[in-house]
Amino acid sequence: MKKRRRFTSVAVKPTAADHSFNFLVDLFLGLLLLIIAIPLWSTITLSFRPNDYIGNNLEGMFLLPWNWSTSAYEALLGNAGFLLAFGNSVKILIGGVASALLLTIPLAYVLSIPTLPGRRYLNLFVIVPYVFNVGMIPTYLLVTNIGLIDTLPAVYIPVAISTYNCLIMRSFFEGIPNELKESARIDGASEIQILLRIILPLSKAIIMTIGLFYGVSFWNNFFHAMLYLNSNALQPLPILLRNILMASGMNEYVEVSAFGDAPIAAIKAASVFMSAIPMVAAYPFIQKYFTKGTLLGSVKG
Amino acid sequence: MKKQYFVCIALIALLSFVSLPLFSQGSKDSAVDGPVSIDLWYGAAVTEAGPPPADWVGFDIIKEKLNIDLKLTTLPSNESDQDVKIQAAAAANNLPDLFMVRRDVLARLVSQGLVAPVDDLYEKMPTRTATHYNEVSRNHTKFNGKSYGLADPGSIVKNEGLLIRKDWLDNLGLSIPTTTDELLDVMRAFTFDDPDGNGKNDTYGYGAFQEVNNYEAWPGRRLEPILGAFGVEGTWDMTVANAGLTILKPEFYDAMVYLKKMVDEGIIDPNWLAYKKDDFRAAWKQGRFGIMREQNAAFAAQSNYAPFDKNFPNGEWVVMDPIKGPKGHASIGPYTAGFRIYAISAKAVEEGKKEKIAELLEWMASDEGYYLLGWGVEGVNYTKDANGIPVADGLPDPDLAFSGPVGQTVTQLRNMVFYNGDIELYARYPKYITATSKKEMSALDVLRTMQSKQWTPAIGSDMLPIPSADLKRFYEQGLSEFITGKRTLNRTNWNTWIAEFKKLGGQDWNDKGVAFAKENNLLNE
Repeated sequence: MKKRRRFTSVAVKPTAADHSFNFLVDLFLGLLLLIIAIPLWSTITLSFRPNDYIGNNLEGMFLLPWNWSTSAYEALLGNAGFLLAFGNSVKILIGGVASALLLTIPLAYVLSIPTLPGRRYLNLFVIVPYVFNVGMIPTYLLVTNIGLIDTLPAVYIPVAISTYNCLIMRSFFEGIPNELKESARIDGASEIQILLRIILPLSKAIIMTIGLFYGVSFWNNFFHAMLYLNSNALQPLPILLRNILMASGMNEYVEVSAFGDAPIAAIKAASVFMSAIPMVAAYPFIQKYFTKGTLLGSVKG
Repeated sequence: MKKQYFVCIALIALLSFVSLPLFSQGSKDSAVDGPVSIDLWYGAAVTEAGPPPADWVGFDIIKEKLNIDLKLTTLPSNESDQDVKIQAAAAANNLPDLFMVRRDVLARLVSQGLVAPVDDLYEKMPTRTATHYNEVSRNHTKFNGKSYGLADPGSIVKNEGLLIRKDWLDNLGLSIPTTTDELLDVMRAFTFDDPDGNGKNDTYGYGAFQEVNNYEAWPGRRLEPILGAFGVEGTWDMTVANAGLTILKPEFYDAMVYLKKMVDEGIIDPNWLAYKKDDFRAAWKQGRFGIMREQNAAFAAQSNYAPFDKNFPNGEWVVMDPIKGPKGHASIGPYTAGFRIYAISAKAVEEGKKEKIAELLEWMASDEGYYLLGWGVEGVNYTKDANGIPVADGLPDPDLAFSGPVGQTVTQLRNMVFYNGDIELYARYPKYITATSKKEMSALDVLRTMQSKQWTPAIGSDMLPIPSADLKRFYEQGLSEFITGKRTLNRTNWNTWIAEFKKLGGQDWNDKGVAFAKENNLLNE
């Protein structure tokens, strides 16, 4: 029986330099927290600001919660256009992440196989369009000609494979010991089976991480939606959000705004906050994979 | 093993190609014998309110009466986004049949042959032409002698005014200022003499924010009444005698000195350089300043005035005459005729849709179309008062009122039928009693008062050439540096800066602008 080497932890007394360093790190992180938290808090408090509020933005950030008004949220949630746009964004998110992963994973896996004939050229085939983007008009023509224009998939199919994400995933797959794949092949597994039964179960971290990257980009995708979607019933949240943020008609034309009596600034802040909620809510569940995934993807071998 | 690799690649390719048709639902045009399909990309009246619902009664009426299957697409709210969408569609020769477009994009589409002339349509739409189009609007879309777009009336002209807090003046025993010197005194008193009597030093004389456009260059619209006192309102002087950039006139320096004095003495709200429109409007409702230039509805419409009324039941703004400058000049600012241009694609004409489009537009101008698109369905979205004016009273469901959150969706096309006629204005700006102070208010009365003040005609000045981005930056940065004290404002420095401005392209911009204005008969006597 082998003797196991035992390690004991030794408490090292921190020096004054350690204390100073830790203080500086804490200070830096504290400042960073403030830089992130203050605008967020400002947006949240602005979204709860009542119509009859008197004071500047700074004072508004310290408005006590019992003086808050939920009129902006009530107006948004009671607005059919908002709910329709939210629904469309969810469809784009689900369809986008599913199709992106469905296409990125096999491509990354194929590119990670060192013995693949023509691998070099295939890699070039993937990287060249990444470096030399064809631009908006040819893409628009392609989307139109294949009949995707004015459909929700037009927002995510043309960008379903991100070369950057694919390369990260390829690096991750290359890091999986080849012996595992070889033994599976010896047992008679096909490449598809190896991918599904060996590679994917070992790749949860990178799949969740890349999935999050894709999810955030599809959720926030304004430009493609603006360009490719014509039907009013297909407009997603970023378009509505832009319309709300750009709205000037609320002040200058109508007697009652599209969102009732809620203050305009509160409506704008509430719509920004609500559109961020799904991503913010998803992040804690993905965080453990995210940290691991980004690190693993960065180290080869 | 190689075979398996190829199978794997083939599967990926197959998956990619197979998935596309699954998602695709490309739209097809109507059948040959069915209604004519017309794609309309329109600018929404209230961008955030959402489009007309799929079961909007207008679709059925248009199909039944005109045999037109109308397909609506709301253009993005931002103009540059609109341009991108239209230009991408143009590049794919996929422009809609009828679409709203800005003039400079229209010019590009004309040169590419993608839009059709509309000169022959005016006489085919007699009702619409009588109310919507005139010589000025036709010239607005004229290129190479042909009119390539239908320029509908845009926003109401001269709908802003110089407002002053009458209650503050009364508290301080002052009268409404009429000259630039008196204005300075009032602004000082508003800033330093506690005009609201709350014991705090929390008020300023003048309030503004930076709002610039082609014809109201920096410092922009909100300070035009000050520039107007020196005869340098607007980007361009549009008179035959002095045509050119106002910044090149010697009086511009005097206006700058005056503005700098306002800044140095702290009698203009110091946040004016940081305010956005919403901040500015929140600020006057919070009683932060006592003089401003504001739009009639943004000031006096019920929902806009309500916070001020609640905060200051005894507060009172009055529309004042523009301030007279040292040489007797006075102006609220320049005004131009705003248009919303609708163009017809060449593709639509090739497909034989031009007549149908004219039919649709003419129907929109009929009583039926006008009321339906402007206010909705009578009894559901509006009722008529004793004078025949659409009102939002007495409806079974107030949410469906044309001014209500839901009702606004069915009037999103109203900009295609409105022409700023009396009925629209009465309906748009009804009289009301304020909730707290119980005084009668009318944004229409305010509008009429504002329009009666002295303005400077500058029709077409929004079509003149614009400076390059670098020159614009130099212009705006230079002026702001003079006003904020980063550059010393004196004659020598000013002349040096103007010389530099001319050298960088300012003279060329001026010359091109004057030439354009002369060619298009835009100059006034």
